[in-house]
Amino acid sequence: MSRTTTMRSPITIWTVLKWTLAIVIAIIAVFPIWWMFNVVFSQPGEPVSLNPRLWPTSFSAGIDKIGMIFTETGYLGAYVISISYALLTIVGVLVIASLAAFEFSLFNFPGRRVMFGIVMLALMVPTAVTIIPTYLLTTRLGWLNTMQGLVVPGLASAFGLFMLVQFMRAVPKEMIEAARLDGAGHFQIYWHVALPLCRNAMITLAILTFIQTWGNYMWPLIIGTRPEMYTVGQVVGMFNSPLSHHTVDTVMTANLLAAIPPLLFFLIFQRKIVEGIAMSGTKG
Amino acid sequence: MSFRRYLPHYLMVAPFMILFVAFFLYPILSGLFYSFHDWNGVKAPEFVGFGNYDRILVSREFLRAMGNLFFYIAITVPLGIFVALGLALLVDSFTGRWANFFRNAFFMPVVLPAFLAATIWRWIYAPNFGLLNMILGWFGVPSINFLNDTGTMIYALIAVDIWVSAGFNMVIILAGLKNIPTELYEAARLDGATKLQQIRHITIPMLGPVLFFVFTYGLISAMQVFDKPWLLTGSSFTSYGGRRNALLFPVMDMMGRAFGGVKFGEAAAYGFLLTVAIVFVTALMFALRAWSERK
Repeated sequence: MSRTTTMRSPITIWTVLKWTLAIVIAIIAVFPIWWMFNVVFSQPGEPVSLNPRLWPTSFSAGIDKIGMIFTETGYLGAYVISISYALLTIVGVLVIASLAAFEFSLFNFPGRRVMFGIVMLALMVPTAVTIIPTYLLTTRLGWLNTMQGLVVPGLASAFGLFMLVQFMRAVPKEMIEAARLDGAGHFQIYWHVALPLCRNAMITLAILTFIQTWGNYMWPLIIGTRPEMYTVGQVVGMFNSPLSHHTVDTVMTANLLAAIPPLLFFLIFQRKIVEGIAMSGTKG
Repeated sequence: MSFRRYLPHYLMVAPFMILFVAFFLYPILSGLFYSFHDWNGVKAPEFVGFGNYDRILVSREFLRAMGNLFFYIAITVPLGIFVALGLALLVDSFTGRWANFFRNAFFMPVVLPAFLAATIWRWIYAPNFGLLNMILGWFGVPSINFLNDTGTMIYALIAVDIWVSAGFNMVIILAGLKNIPTELYEAARLDGATKLQQIRHITIPMLGPVLFFVFTYGLISAMQVFDKPWLLTGSSFTSYGGRRNALLFPVMDMMGRAFGGVKFGEAAAYGFLLTVAIVFVTALMFALRAWSERK
């Protein structure tokens, strides 16, 4: 007897119902994304452009549309801005938060509890209250329509610090003592002992930061007012605005291009993304 | 002497703390200052006491936004958790590869930026040729302009909201499910409890803390809803909120006052009002939980 026959449970109404339900929900969840893909990769002239296209009909037509979007609109520039914004934020958050997390989780020094406590309180403060004053400060620094205006105010991530502190607490104190006895300096302990041990947490934080900055709409909207500082989110919003005269093909191409980076990230790193979110929810 | 001993620690905490003070603590304090001043960003701020707060509290937009918010929260938060719990239980009833497959499929909308979810759904809701109207047309339902009919607008938003966020809560609940000891279920099965009884008497109570987190977090983020209604209704500082402000929400109103009306003092005051409301609701949630645990 093979294992499959002994393991198989009898097909009940419940099994049928469960599969049907799961498949229907999966379709509802995924179809809008798939449909967007199909609108892009089909002949532009096809009648009633919002038809539920079930599969792509023309690969080359899609490539043409993507080429058109990149060459004839400001989309390429917005892509470059969004990628730079995401990458600079990731590098900044990782470096700054890991340095601080190293100290807060493994050492004791005067003021540590107070500082860490205040930062953790910040986790509870809604963005609604900080966004206007932060905007006013950023403008006064002359950072309107600059990359530093986009990036710097988001670097002190309380969530990032919290997450890394959770991980670094698990670093055995003996390892630090051992490294110190071997003559390692403070920074060397951080670099050679603590960082490698929380590599996984760093990767997860990097991915979550990417998804978050790529999807950030409000801050770029107010800090980048000139078209050359528009992020993908702003351009997508403009393409979709009721006053724009773009056809559904063009709009969906813009949408699809905005969706590809986070979707690719998800397909590659799905376990880390899901674990990161689960962790923030169950340990928080 | 002792400061020098601790210097390396302070040096490494410094980048974070400096940025934190500059772009978090200082803005909050300066925001408090602006909230008592009339200021358009150019002329000198003029002290007006609680004038900004007064003006907001009696304005028609504020009342409208609050009304919308209450209605939106009352539906989207409980329904969202109900759906997420259902999805988690559904995924959990599969094993191995299929559990993974369905979890990923249900989760996929979560990785899309909220601005994208809103813009995709704008086209799904489009009158006449939109996907949804086409499907309804098969059943003989006449075309509905979902985003311009005051009776449907808020439900259209809630649907998008649940589409993008259910997977997020599902993942958190799934992690909670994994923490429930299987012996509990075995014991219940031996006692002859049905599947439904097991869910009601073991799963839900054991998920208590996780559901509490999901609920509180959902409440806090729902109170700050912005991207989705903003993009569903026009996406500009001159047109937002939709027909008869049926999709106007507090953060939209605040942003409109700041950047549409150039009233930064008023917008700062708005932010504080919202924060007070959020802190109050959060405290209430924790008090309720403490009270229910004592019982």
